[in-house]
Amino acid sequence: MIEVNNVTKKFGDFVALDDLNMNVPKGAIYGLVGPNGAGKSTIIRHLCGVYKQDAGQVLIDGQSVYENEALKQRYTIIPDDIFYFTQANTLDMMKFYKNMYPRFDETLFKKIMDCFPAINPKKMVRTLSKGMQKQVAFMLSIAARPELMILDEPVDGLDPVMRRQIWSLIMSDVAENGLTVLVSSHNLRELEDVCDHVGIMNNGKILIERSLDELQTSITKVQIAFEGEMPALPPEIKVLKKITNGRVHTLIVKGEPRAAEHAIGQMNPLLMDILPLTLEEIFIYELGGENYAVKDIIF
Amino acid sequence: MQSKTSFFNMALFKKNISRTWIAGLLYFILLMLMLPVSFIINTAHSEDDWMAEMGYTMEMRLYEHMAYQPTASIAIVVAIVVTGVTFWYLFNRRDNYMMHAFPVGRKSLYFTGLLSSFVVAIVPVLLVSIFLTIAAAISGASGLGCIWYWALIVIVSTCLFMSVAMFSLMTTGQIVTAIIFYFIFNFLYILMEIAFRITASLLMFGMSAALNGINYKIWTPIFFIGNKIKVISNVQTDEMGNRVIGFTHEFIGGKYLAIYAVAAVVIFLVSYLMYSRKKLETVLDFIAVPFMKPIFSVGMSFFISMVAGAYVAGMIEAVKPLRYNARYAIAIVSAIIIGIIIYYATQMLIEKTLRVFRLKNLVHACIYSLAALVVLLGMRFDVVKIENKIPNAKDIAWAGISDHYEMVFTNPDEIEQVRKLHQNFLEDKKELRDVSVIYPDTDSTRYSIRYKLKNGDIIIRDYTVVDTEAPEVSPEYVAATQPILDFINEPSRIKEHVIGNTWNTGEITQMTFSVYKYNDNILDYEYQANSFDELSTNEKKEKYGRVYKALLKDVDEGKVFVQKFNGHDGYEYDEEALYNDFDFTITDKEHPYFSDTEHFWDYADDYFNSYPRYEQNITVSLNKNCDNTLKALKDEGFYESDDDILTYEEYDSQTGGDGGEPIHLYND
Repeated sequence: MIEVNNVTKKFGDFVALDDLNMNVPKGAIYGLVGPNGAGKSTIIRHLCGVYKQDAGQVLIDGQSVYENEALKQRYTIIPDDIFYFTQANTLDMMKFYKNMYPRFDETLFKKIMDCFPAINPKKMVRTLSKGMQKQVAFMLSIAARPELMILDEPVDGLDPVMRRQIWSLIMSDVAENGLTVLVSSHNLRELEDVCDHVGIMNNGKILIERSLDELQTSITKVQIAFEGEMPALPPEIKVLKKITNGRVHTLIVKGEPRAAEHAIGQMNPLLMDILPLTLEEIFIYELGGENYAVKDIIF
Repeated sequence: MQSKTSFFNMALFKKNISRTWIAGLLYFILLMLMLPVSFIINTAHSEDDWMAEMGYTMEMRLYEHMAYQPTASIAIVVAIVVTGVTFWYLFNRRDNYMMHAFPVGRKSLYFTGLLSSFVVAIVPVLLVSIFLTIAAAISGASGLGCIWYWALIVIVSTCLFMSVAMFSLMTTGQIVTAIIFYFIFNFLYILMEIAFRITASLLMFGMSAALNGINYKIWTPIFFIGNKIKVISNVQTDEMGNRVIGFTHEFIGGKYLAIYAVAAVVIFLVSYLMYSRKKLETVLDFIAVPFMKPIFSVGMSFFISMVAGAYVAGMIEAVKPLRYNARYAIAIVSAIIIGIIIYYATQMLIEKTLRVFRLKNLVHACIYSLAALVVLLGMRFDVVKIENKIPNAKDIAWAGISDHYEMVFTNPDEIEQVRKLHQNFLEDKKELRDVSVIYPDTDSTRYSIRYKLKNGDIIIRDYTVVDTEAPEVSPEYVAATQPILDFINEPSRIKEHVIGNTWNTGEITQMTFSVYKYNDNILDYEYQANSFDELSTNEKKEKYGRVYKALLKDVDEGKVFVQKFNGHDGYEYDEEALYNDFDFTITDKEHPYFSDTEHFWDYADDYFNSYPRYEQNITVSLNKNCDNTLKALKDEGFYESDDDILTYEEYDSQTGGDGGEPIHLYND
């Protein structure tokens, strides 16, 4: 659905996107994660047709995005900081979206509105709370019946119940209509629950781009203990991190869990446990090699 | 595959109108008050008011009403308000990104925004014109075309200013800067001209009055439209202004409107190209268009430093007189230093950092310095002939000289003589332009030469000169300056230009000669003048005529109205000048009076001076040598005793004004 090929973007001397490649399959829920300043918002602005790349291609469904009105009618964007016209209420915005997006479904909009009873549709949207404004944005966006939805920090400011409600609406759209979702967020736990694909960004590049299953099987956490000193590990095991606590060693190793289990098992440990890694841990360990400061990550 | 985009988006149009309609409504109310409401109020009692008594018709009233309605001055404000509100999203990061993320191309955003701005700015003008047309038609006025010519001027002005507003909005990422740029662009030509004129007035020989005589050009539409594109209404009244005797009207400046309309279209297209190529990440940048950055910083540095450099030289000269070359050297060095400071300051503003000392900027700073050096040296050596400019005779409507009196020459022979005198004066500039240094203690004054060109431009030259009769003055200096005095002191020229063109056809209808006598009752000096009330009008005229004849004899003998190049302007320092006042009125009902003074100072076209005048009061600075006039005044009874004739010095010594004891007591 989304193809970003060798995209470079500079702001003066600063390279925001550095020969970036990204691929979002149709029907996927793609989580874009990365530390602050990684370039997430910049690539999203390219996908929205706001920025024009200095080099490379930004394609959606095989078409260039920039200044492509017809293509943009097929997808919606919910930025972190949402824009509403001054003095416009929810119904005014609905009319505007209806005129902008040919597939806008007014009946669906009214149906979704019933899920958000706290919102007064005749009240100016700008006077609503940030969470409510976000809810209005989701209502408008979903009712536009997009093929692709691009979300930048989408559930920030929403309470847990509302988050669940929003995600459930999106997931049902994905299931029923094959909606593709690109979501950028810091909230890795939430992404882990909803995403099936993940791209990890840092310094204007995608470091890893895989399905969540592949990603979770590409790094393994192993806890082992030996009789005496730990023997040298076989060369095929690449250790990302090692923590020793008495005779118990915790290793984060690259590679498939079964392969790690097999290789370490041949060293006859007294104890060996293969533990699953969360997305959060994968993120930390992958970026650890990129000199990324773990303390900067806010979960 | 790139999709096709449209020029117009209805949803956007409605949204734009929903945000700007209030500005349109306020504009409509303002125009309603200024046009139909005001017209209806002014003509409510049109059958018996003072205008009806004078003979004004409804058509005249309508034309008078429309002739003074503002055009460009309201359009310039409306244009920036409406376009600024419509394109507000360009100056806010969030709004900017979201508007461009919607499925609407920049072409639609631009042209839809433009159309909605037009509607808000132009519909009120059209509606008001319709209402006024109806009101005028009901009140019986003909000549309704003047309403629509006014509307056309306002509409074209609005389009033009909107195009400049769009250009300004596309140039920067900050709304406040956009508004500042808007006014800078609108006044750019006149600002540049003023900068050059200020510099010239401080540095160049004869250019001290360069700030006078600015003629608004087509490049400054805000002034040009108001002056050259309008409804002209000319109601002629009788001599006393009591009765309408004629009426003419005209719609002027149509061709300029066409030029402005074309210019507006071109600027709109240029602005669109800028928008279509604009990088949206430049929102909140001081300058959003790369090619404008060096133009802005170098341009600002150039104009500000040029004027500042000249002012520095001017300030130093105020403390210590400088030679011409020294003045230029100081100005050039100051301009370059100030310019480089301004260049880096603007660069910091543009780049939003203090770290601007890079090679690229150094190159730009050097380009600026070179440009400043070239221009100031160009001024010094008068490369484009400004100092030495003497216009071609065929281009001159009149030439004038002002020393103590103003003389304006329309006769081709005299114009040619002025040109030659001026040429002769400029040939030996070296000594002339350094008079304040070469002759620091010699009595000096300033005199002016003006040329009014047939195209309306005025060329003004103003020179400091020293007394040609001073012993220290060199023969070369006298040779360069004395011919001018000889020319203006020629008796026939004095009669024609100081007394006026009716000097030999008019009659003297009033004459006053004052004496100052001590009055014992009030213990003070008292102004006295014989008004000859016992005489009939004709007897008075005959009496005045005889004195006038004697005055003309004194003129012929070179005793009165003689001008010199010394610091006094007539009397105070001339030992022979009389304290007694003498003036008369010359009247010729057949020939309008041509005022040299009003023409020279360009007041002749003013509203109050444009009506023909048939009489003029002349004040004469008599001196003790005017024996013919003084004798005639005594013979005709204007004064009795020779003791009544006082020089300034004598008056001062009698009254104690010279520091001595007064000869009479004063009433304190």
